[in-house]
Amino acid sequence: MKLKPGTLAMILAGGRVDDLGVLTFHRPKSAVPFGGFARVIDFPLSNLMNSGLNRVAILSQYRSYSLINHIGIGAAWDMIGRYRGISILPPYLGYGHSQWYRGSSDAVYQNLDFIQYINPEQLLILSGDHVYHMDYRGLINYHREKDADLTMVCLKVPMNEAHRFGLADIDDEDGERGGRVVRYREKPEKPEYNWASMTVFCFKPKVLYQVLEANIRDDASYEFGHDIIPRMMNENRRVYGYKFKGYWGYSRTIEEYWQTNMDLLGPDPKIRFADWKIRTNLEHRGISDCQPLKIGKHAAISDSLIYNGCIVEGQVERSILFPGARVEKGARVKDSVLFFNNVVGKGALVDKVISDVNNTFGREVRVGEGDISGPKHATVIGWNNFIKAGTIIGSGCTVYPSLPSEKIPKQVESGEVVR
Amino acid sequence: MSSLEDTLVLLLAGGVGSRLNILVKPRAKPAVPFAGLYRIIDFSLSNVMNSGMRQVGVLTQYKPLSLMRHLGTGEAWDFSGRSRGVKILPPSTGFRDSDWYRGTADAIRHNLNFIKAHPSREVLVLSGDHIYRMDLHAMVEHHRRNNADITIAMMIVPESQIHQFGTGIINTEGRIVEWEEKPKVPRTNLASMGIYVFNTEYLINLLAENKDEVDFGMHLVPKAIARDNVFAYPFEGYWRDVGTIQAYWEANMDLLDDEPEISPEAWGIRPNLESEQQLADRIPARFTAGSKVSRSMISAGCVIEGEVENSVLSPGVKVGPGCRIRDSIILHDCVIEEGATVDLAIMDKRVTVGKGAAIGTGENREIPNRKYPDHLYTGISLIGKEAEIPAGTVVGRNCIINPWSKQDAFTEKVLKDGDTI
Repeated sequence: MKLKPGTLAMILAGGRVDDLGVLTFHRPKSAVPFGGFARVIDFPLSNLMNSGLNRVAILSQYRSYSLINHIGIGAAWDMIGRYRGISILPPYLGYGHSQWYRGSSDAVYQNLDFIQYINPEQLLILSGDHVYHMDYRGLINYHREKDADLTMVCLKVPMNEAHRFGLADIDDEDGERGGRVVRYREKPEKPEYNWASMTVFCFKPKVLYQVLEANIRDDASYEFGHDIIPRMMNENRRVYGYKFKGYWGYSRTIEEYWQTNMDLLGPDPKIRFADWKIRTNLEHRGISDCQPLKIGKHAAISDSLIYNGCIVEGQVERSILFPGARVEKGARVKDSVLFFNNVVGKGALVDKVISDVNNTFGREVRVGEGDISGPKHATVIGWNNFIKAGTIIGSGCTVYPSLPSEKIPKQVESGEVVR
Repeated sequence: MSSLEDTLVLLLAGGVGSRLNILVKPRAKPAVPFAGLYRIIDFSLSNVMNSGMRQVGVLTQYKPLSLMRHLGTGEAWDFSGRSRGVKILPPSTGFRDSDWYRGTADAIRHNLNFIKAHPSREVLVLSGDHIYRMDLHAMVEHHRRNNADITIAMMIVPESQIHQFGTGIINTEGRIVEWEEKPKVPRTNLASMGIYVFNTEYLINLLAENKDEVDFGMHLVPKAIARDNVFAYPFEGYWRDVGTIQAYWEANMDLLDDEPEISPEAWGIRPNLESEQQLADRIPARFTAGSKVSRSMISAGCVIEGEVENSVLSPGVKVGPGCRIRDSIILHDCVIEEGATVDLAIMDKRVTVGKGAAIGTGENREIPNRKYPDHLYTGISLIGKEAEIPAGTVVGRNCIINPWSKQDAFTEKVLKDGDTI
């Protein structure tokens, strides 16, 4: 038995990167709600907990009350104790230090004192932005077996999408498990191989320190994918790829985020949600104050996930409802994701919509309807909006957060942005 | 700071509640699950929390394990912190009397040390057995305004039920002038809810002067009325002693009304989800394409493939395809397999109902249970914790299947109305 952890995990949770439009105006992607009760960062955090890795730091410079609130003291993931804990590490001012994080690897560099204080045997660096289920112990064991300087987790992606990722060419050293990375390219225009990096890295700390120092000294960009891995390849370090074959929910666009949500549904969902053993902070947004879902006499629900604290009196199909969603009589919600505390008024229709927290759809509002030729796009409603009765909003629209309700026109054409 | 912090709370949670039958075989009455996510004691504890009191002693006695696990550190009800706390107070061996609690007053008397260790202006004594919402802060203020020695919360109950209660007659000031415990011929419809505010010094003296008296309602209150300032605090609103199977079932069904009189979330009642000690959190309830649910409460972690109507489901219940659940209360993690039906039943945790089984069949709801005719007489059948009902079994009305009954306990395919296993 050994109490002191050999592994320190650092979660990169700072990136806003404009990926998810209005959903990330006021929170980092890692704090975006997912799955009817959780947040995206709950996935790596629960993976860590289930892998028995309890010493965690979160790197975030994005102003985020929702992230800080969500992490709380880390008790939700059992990460409190002598050698267990979650530390949130924002950028700081100090002697010779007065910078925002200039990139993912700079964020780690600026916290070298923290890492060296803990002095782990290996450093696990994860993105807080992805939805997946993984036991990191397999990765760590492989990394140690190979005596690697870096082991990166890779997933085979279709060749036509490969240009969006950092790509590794992995040799056959260990077949299905993984192998030596022989070539690496960050988002190449014409990919020649298609093992995509999932931003799950296991580093030998001593080597990483050297590479980070050199990167800060010589380069003008400070990203793991763009700078650190290519530098390690050039220096002929021992870089290995560890092959992952499960589901990976990677969403940079609203459409991808919508699809990842829909992967929770259907007769044979791609995400085996109950098997993933996800924990969230039930104190955040008062989830644990909710009573069970209440279903009215004339309600109809099919192929949906609905959490406690909702009231459904209308119809819900292929949708995901977070606590506090209310679907009134005669209202219809389909192919949609409603975050916390949404109200869909009597007779309203909400069709392929992602609606952020605290939105109200007045009576007879219709969102996502209209004559659509070709594939229908999701409409996104930013938080704290009141959409007046009778308003019609097309598909593929964006409504900015917290608009005065008179700013939302009575009719919004498909594809329009209301700001 | 409010002087409210001077009120110490003692919550009586020792009741057996034997009329709840199989539900109290594995646990004490305050720990019986209610409204899907809650336990009965959550209502009293949350009322205390919402009234701003900070020190609580919970007096346990009967099967306290699940109650103790449920209370945990008290954090769920905000009772953690330097000046807050919830303590479990079980009976203990003393120098002279090593007794079990023999009554409400006796239980408090056994815990005088606790009272003295938490200096207070008043002691609030209440029970963990009831479903209601009450502002206890307002009651304490009422007590202080009246310069009372004791204040008793009282409510009007129907004449047919008054014989179960302590009853009082009050004068125009609200002072209680006469008291009758469980009267055969009632002279009033004002009943005690078993919630008392005592001045602390007064309580200590009262218990010391009457060393042989063990019950407040029966012994001490009548004495105090004759001598001291005893006032009634009037309560109006929803209040249920869910001490019988019928009352328990009805109160659960009350949740399903369109404009319900009882609404735990709106009342600020908090469950303790973490005391379930689940490895992972419950995911949202899943409804498949073929499911059909109306007028029901469904908790997280349920998977509904069949039909559910007029029912309350606790977390993790699985209702297979082709199943029909009606007018029932189903507790945590029961599994109802394909094609089974459940009609008018209360099912404790982790029961499995095999394929095609039928619980609650036929129309003979008036044949009472033969073993417990005064517990089951309206048609409700009870299935005990972790019972395993074999596929194809048919269970009639007013039946009892005891906890932990395994498949081999079912010698016949059919359980007749009023039978017990």
